[in-house]
Amino acid sequence: MSIDWSYAWRALVKNWPMFWYGMKVTIEFALVGTVFGFLIGLVVGAIRSVPIDPLDSPLIKGLKKFGRWITGLYIWVFRGTPMMIQACFIYYLLRPVIHWGPITAGFVIISINTGAYMAEILRSGIQSVDPGQLEACKAIGMSNFQAMVYVIFPQAIKNTFPAIGNQLVVNLKDSCMMNVISVTELFFQSSSIAGSNMRFVEIYFDTAILYLILTTAATWLLNLIERRMSQDEDTAKKKKFFMEMSA
Amino acid sequence: MTSPVISVEHLKKSFGAQEVLHDIDFQIEKGEVVSIIGSSGSGKSTLLRCINLLEIPDSGTISFHGQNILGGGLKPTDYRSKVGMVFQNFNLFANKNVLDNCILGQRKVLGRSNEEARKIALQHLERVGMSDFLNKNATKLSGGQKQRVAIARALSMDPEVLLFDEPTSALDPEMVGEVLDVMKGLASSGLTMIVVTHEMQFAKDVSDRVIFMDQGVIAEQGTPDEVFNHPKNERTRQFLSRFRESANLS
Repeated sequence: MSIDWSYAWRALVKNWPMFWYGMKVTIEFALVGTVFGFLIGLVVGAIRSVPIDPLDSPLIKGLKKFGRWITGLYIWVFRGTPMMIQACFIYYLLRPVIHWGPITAGFVIISINTGAYMAEILRSGIQSVDPGQLEACKAIGMSNFQAMVYVIFPQAIKNTFPAIGNQLVVNLKDSCMMNVISVTELFFQSSSIAGSNMRFVEIYFDTAILYLILTTAATWLLNLIERRMSQDEDTAKKKKFFMEMSA
Repeated sequence: MTSPVISVEHLKKSFGAQEVLHDIDFQIEKGEVVSIIGSSGSGKSTLLRCINLLEIPDSGTISFHGQNILGGGLKPTDYRSKVGMVFQNFNLFANKNVLDNCILGQRKVLGRSNEEARKIALQHLERVGMSDFLNKNATKLSGGQKQRVAIARALSMDPEVLLFDEPTSALDPEMVGEVLDVMKGLASSGLTMIVVTHEMQFAKDVSDRVIFMDQGVIAEQGTPDEVFNHPKNERTRQFLSRFRESANLS
């Protein structure tokens, strides 16, 4: 067991353009996966937490039950199988039909995969909101949908922000699985560099450091946003109010 | 004779195997203030929640101006916008400030313009003495302040009937008065109110009619004088004597 520290440094400098290219792709995947995964999770999480009202017609009740079943199936499959397998299967399955490239396919797959996790995060967030909030909405005549959009979701998202943000960190790392459909993200680039130089230990050491820099930066950024969110709440509202008053 | 605003007939409600409301009948006229009293578990809160469809009765009818709301004639959301509710735990929207709590329903349910909704909200917040707290987050108020905002929120919808579900039970004793004062003001303004309460003095002084519930039935009802000073039912007497012991009811 040995590692040539000076080689590790020289290889990083020499291959920097390739590493940097891979990092950019990795960041892109993490951002796309998290943003679209969040949007998918919002819809799926909402479907899963729509209450079945005793006043609903049988058709609506049936639709709601079907919605729960189909979203449950989606979450079960996508959380229960490795993203690497999902990537291979979906990419090759649909390639003859939609003729997509690895990047497009990768974006779609990481989003769908993240969506399954986000849906569960948001569902638990919705459930953590005091049921009295929904009753208060209903008592003034709001529909379930209005209650969700204006009262329940904003609270659920705020409560679950740390878990939502954590998915960005997870995606920075897990996007490496996209190398199986030859997306040129950081890990793919690294293995190309390692293979062509036949120096695995040093190159993968460099790669680990680069991933660590990415995840640390993301964590730091998320903490900053979280702090801001709780701080600014009151000041932002004050500002808005005075602007309205003076308008 | 005027037709009742809300009329409840043969209402039954069970939770699991336990029937909590047995065959309830009662009416409320326009402008009437009705207090519902009774010990915990007598079904009074369940009755109130049935009236606002937060609980769905198992059988019986609830009519609003003669229209059965359980038969699908009137949409639950339309009905609820006309029958306001004030909760024991306030349930102010935790993501909104005081003013927005009173605006949201007006905008989304009644379709009022922002300007109009704001004007109406300000008017009711003034009435409950909360106009100095417009931008304060709902979670940062005291209990009494929260309940007054909750009343202003309900009033902003211009309800025909306002239901109060033990509005002072979750309050510290020194805050009960400020909420009761607001409610007294509303009662004298001619608003139709149904109040589930443990505040006997309030029920006695403010109501037009008092209903005593016991074990899921209306055991006795009448004017405050009839129920408090000349109760006919033995259970009513027992219930009131327990209250007289703890609070010196005049």
